[in-house]
Amino acid sequence: MKYKDYYASLGVPRDADADAIKTAYRKLARKYHPDVSKEANAEEKFKEVGEAYETLKDPEKRAAYDQLGQYAPGSDFRPPPDWGQAHAGGQQFSFDDLDLADLFAGLAGRGRGAPRGDRPIPGNDYEAAVHLTFEQAFAGTELELDLAAIEYDEQGRARRVPHRMKVRVPSGVTDGQKLRVPGRGGKGLRGGRDGDLYLDIEVAAHPVFRVDGMDIHVDLPLAPWEAVLGASVELPTPAGRVTLKVPAGTRAGQKLRLGGRGMARSDGTKGDLYAQAQIAVPTVTDEAQHKLYEALRDASNFDPRAHL
Amino acid sequence: MALEYAQAIYINDGETITFAQLVERSGLTADELGDLIECGALTDEGASAAAARFSERCVLVARTARRLRDEYALEDSHALAVVVRLTQRIDALKSELRRRRGR
Repeated sequence: MKYKDYYASLGVPRDADADAIKTAYRKLARKYHPDVSKEANAEEKFKEVGEAYETLKDPEKRAAYDQLGQYAPGSDFRPPPDWGQAHAGGQQFSFDDLDLADLFAGLAGRGRGAPRGDRPIPGNDYEAAVHLTFEQAFAGTELELDLAAIEYDEQGRARRVPHRMKVRVPSGVTDGQKLRVPGRGGKGLRGGRDGDLYLDIEVAAHPVFRVDGMDIHVDLPLAPWEAVLGASVELPTPAGRVTLKVPAGTRAGQKLRLGGRGMARSDGTKGDLYAQAQIAVPTVTDEAQHKLYEALRDASNFDPRAHL
Repeated sequence: MALEYAQAIYINDGETITFAQLVERSGLTADELGDLIECGALTDEGASAAAARFSERCVLVARTARRLRDEYALEDSHALAVVVRLTQRIDALKSELRRRRGR
């Protein structure tokens, strides 16, 4: 087990009182909280100060930590022989599997020995961020996750247990959504329910398709004559290319709806796909084409700025 | 290590739990949950105070509250409720921004 100097992490002396420790933690938490910090190593620092505070804020845990002794940060160490008897009710730990945070997490609520009574203890819920491509979100996918959970046996002994699982993600998930994997969190004790695993879904942007709720939007560039005369054009959709009939007189910005080709909902229905018309202006260098445009200009009384 | 198989499911707002179950699953105290309900961060779907029911989504809100309480060392449950409401507002704005980018 590697030693961590929790007092140094919080920037307080070893004899700091509880208020000084709390003040120091709050200041560092504001500085490094991932939700607000712009520091380069914010997440790592936040975890470090959080771990230190979690132990030092609790008088019993702090006393147990002080009794470990003091070592060079990062150096390997073992607690004194009688440490477990004095601070963990004689619990046995496999120090090779745990780090310092796990050691004190195992003491949470158990500082006076094995858990009392027969009360069921529910397992912890866990969260994991998962990153999907647009295609995976659209069609659903299977993800392989490697998680390491702290589990306790009936005697309250803590150990870190790796789990490898394949999780089926349903089709139609969207960026920012949360999914639940029932019973895949921490194990409950004495009949307590197992915790759940929550997945925070992040979906990468797609170069062609944009998602708005359960609908999908795609730009549809049209040549001027296609917009004026109408046309059958090929359009990409997430499920493959389709032929779209563009009505005559389609204007720029107009949305053509393809029903049921959007993201799948949990009830089995689907959103829609919208093709948004854009009028693309060709570069005309050919003399014959140029003369045709001039003839059209002279023959037409269309004024696009009549309303201004 | 054996490979386990699991299915991720959508948060089911149709399933509800009691206040006591919410206390147990969230790790918050009854007072803290009461403040969250009072400020509107959590919605009680029961017919009466005695029959209070909460959706699965409330568990997520309550767990977020516990995380914020622990991470910022907040001791005032009213202040915690205000912080939770602000994070909900941020989440709603992020969601709206994603929708507008999609159009």
